[in-house]
Amino acid sequence: MYAYNQYDQALVDQRVDQYRDQTRRYLAGEIPEDEFRILRLMNGLYIQRLAPMLRVAIPYGLMKSQQLRAMAEISRVYDKGYGHFTTRQNMQFNWPTLESVPDILADLAKVQMHAIQTSGACIRNTTTDPFAGVSADEIEDTRPWCELIRQWSSLHPEFTYLPRKFKIAVSGSASDRAASQVHDVGLHLYRNDAGEVGFEVIVGGGLGRTPVIGKTVKKFLQPQELLSYLEAVLRVYNLNGRRDNKYKARIKILVNAVGVDTFGEMVEAEWEQLKGGDLRLPWSEIDRVKGFFTGPDYLAAEHAEHDLSRAFAEYPQFATWYRQNTRDHKQGGYRIVVVALKNQLQAPGDVSHQQMDGMAALADEFSFGELRSTHDQNLVLADVAQRDLLALWLKLQDIDLARANVGTLTDMINCPGLDFCSLANAETLVLSRQINETFDDIDYQYDIGDIQLKISGCINACGHHHVGHIGVLGVEKGGKQVYQFTLGGSASEDASLGKTLGRSIEQDQVVVVIGQILDVYVELRETDETFLQLVRRVGFAPFKERVYGTHQRSAA
Amino acid sequence: MALIKDQQLSLDHATTPELRFADWLSDGQNNADAVLANGDDDLASLLTHANKLSMIALEFDTFADGRGFSMARILRRAGYQGEIRAVGDVAMDRIDFMQRVGFNAFELRDDQEVTEALSKFGEVTVHFQPSADGKGPAYMA
Ligand code: HEM
Ligand code: SF4
Repeated sequence: MYAYNQYDQALVDQRVDQYRDQTRRYLAGEIPEDEFRILRLMNGLYIQRLAPMLRVAIPYGLMKSQQLRAMAEISRVYDKGYGHFTTRQNMQFNWPTLESVPDILADLAKVQMHAIQTSGACIRNTTTDPFAGVSADEIEDTRPWCELIRQWSSLHPEFTYLPRKFKIAVSGSASDRAASQVHDVGLHLYRNDAGEVGFEVIVGGGLGRTPVIGKTVKKFLQPQELLSYLEAVLRVYNLNGRRDNKYKARIKILVNAVGVDTFGEMVEAEWEQLKGGDLRLPWSEIDRVKGFFTGPDYLAAEHAEHDLSRAFAEYPQFATWYRQNTRDHKQGGYRIVVVALKNQLQAPGDVSHQQMDGMAALADEFSFGELRSTHDQNLVLADVAQRDLLALWLKLQDIDLARANVGTLTDMINCPGLDFCSLANAETLVLSRQINETFDDIDYQYDIGDIQLKISGCINACGHHHVGHIGVLGVEKGGKQVYQFTLGGSASEDASLGKTLGRSIEQDQVVVVIGQILDVYVELRETDETFLQLVRRVGFAPFKERVYGTHQRSAA
Repeated sequence: MALIKDQQLSLDHATTPELRFADWLSDGQNNADAVLANGDDDLASLLTHANKLSMIALEFDTFADGRGFSMARILRRAGYQGEIRAVGDVAMDRIDFMQRVGFNAFELRDDQEVTEALSKFGEVTVHFQPSADGKGPAYMA
């Protein structure tokens, strides 16, 4: 993976000093509260209900084992011994003190990490497919491009006071595992009819109050002009995005207001001035960055391969885990391993410091010392030889991370909700606990198959409920926490927004309703039909009938 | 109100114009050659008339309004050589970025300490993107 050179290191070191000075001046009363708010947000520091929350950047979800170890240590020294992986592949600490943040940043800088632009109205961490560079269905590795975007967007002087935050996601295979169509900009690397690799540029996607699927603004962008085109998009947005209402300030609102064609013309007009200029990437630079992502020293297939049939026979649970949690690798003899951060005891995406240290050790032992975080709040060991899988699985059990539930109902996305978040309308973590208790029969989960359940505690949609196959949104009605259901959403290549099923549901009925929805699926499905396919085929009527028709379970 | 110009405290300088660009335009561009503009002004006509102006003061009603950053950048790209002065909600934590996009003068907010503000230029010396300062990204060096 990418390793810092002297410039990258100097940048983060200087940024730590700068932020240390800003914190000092704030504590001395020299920076007004509202201004420091913006300064700290640009460094990932929120103030939450109970404590500050620090979001640490994991550029496009890639980390080395020593970086994860450093985060484990930070969670021990400055926090309560755990961290939380977010849907944008970053790490959050829920309990640091404001005063300690400069020291945390200094510790992070020692392992080439930072919290730059993890919040605030600026260009955020670029996210991508967690299987980039290893997946069998990949067209082109997205990581070098993400790194180039990271560098260009880091401390960009012009785009630090945008109308609103700006999120970019890059996908490089037919399956979109980066939710690229619900980002401000989604980039799809693909090969055109002439055989050239370039980007399709999608703009104006996003969730929040006004969920929108992005629209294509450029069909084919030459890769060398990636940064010049992005700069043009950002400049048009910075000058024209709404600033009068923060709920109308995302680029999606601008794109919808003027129409994607007009927006595209505005971008082209600005891009005319930029393309072929300073921002055009020379191939030498592209190749230099690509050189960091050439892949590890894989064993020859015959050494990595292993006949697992005996192990499967001896440990049926290992066979299940293999089927559920590992994926095809482009390299013969290797598997991609998804480690679900979704056990029964912890909140989705949470990891204890022991688990972080444990995962770092397993990465060293079995996956060339690297790990990835995923949009679904899981971890990935991307390069595991088949012959090591059993040993890895056994060791994952020691740290409670061997649950074979990737892609199932309990592999849900969940925002922190009322337990931590000051904007929340309702609790969400109680729901994931209830769901885990109610649907604890793993064979039932396997029978239900591929399903994405996504839960948000308020309309800001951090839990991506609009694009869940089943979405649950916490709302407040008459002082009570109730939940709205949506069905039929997807964040993948077939992206769609879920539609509301009907009246809100009381907290203790949420699992009942999920059960009813799944019953309808089981009763009506055809062979091999997934839940999402069924919803798209049969529509809402049977679900409405089951949930609202004969039962009086909903809150008014 | 202290003014920093070309990275120095400036004691002897033109006062910030009160004449708004829009009024200057509609008054037939009288012989004043310094105007006050902000993000609501039409950038295209500002570019058309910039060569008649020795100073364009870009006003930040609130620091969160970043339009002035792109305006300065585009003015410089179009070859504007006059003074671009940041006025309004201008604090030391932004002047380095402002300078990089093309501002060369800063009328600091009243609560800002000048000596300290001067130390903020070049707090971060590594730049990863070309900007109005003419320097290319660090990796191209
Ligand atoms: C606990 C503190 C948090 C607060 C105060 C918070 C606040 C917000 C707000 C206000 C938005 C809406 C922004 C907009 O519409 O422009 C948002 C969006 C988002 N949040 Fe959070 N959030 C928090 C935690 C999280 C966590 C833990 C995750 C990941 C699990 C997360 C993931 C996201 C994502 C992916 C979006 C983007 C949705 C979109 O594209 O509009 N947030 N957050
Ligand atoms: S969706 Fe709402 S409740 Fe959940 S983390 Fe985001 S802002 Fe908080």
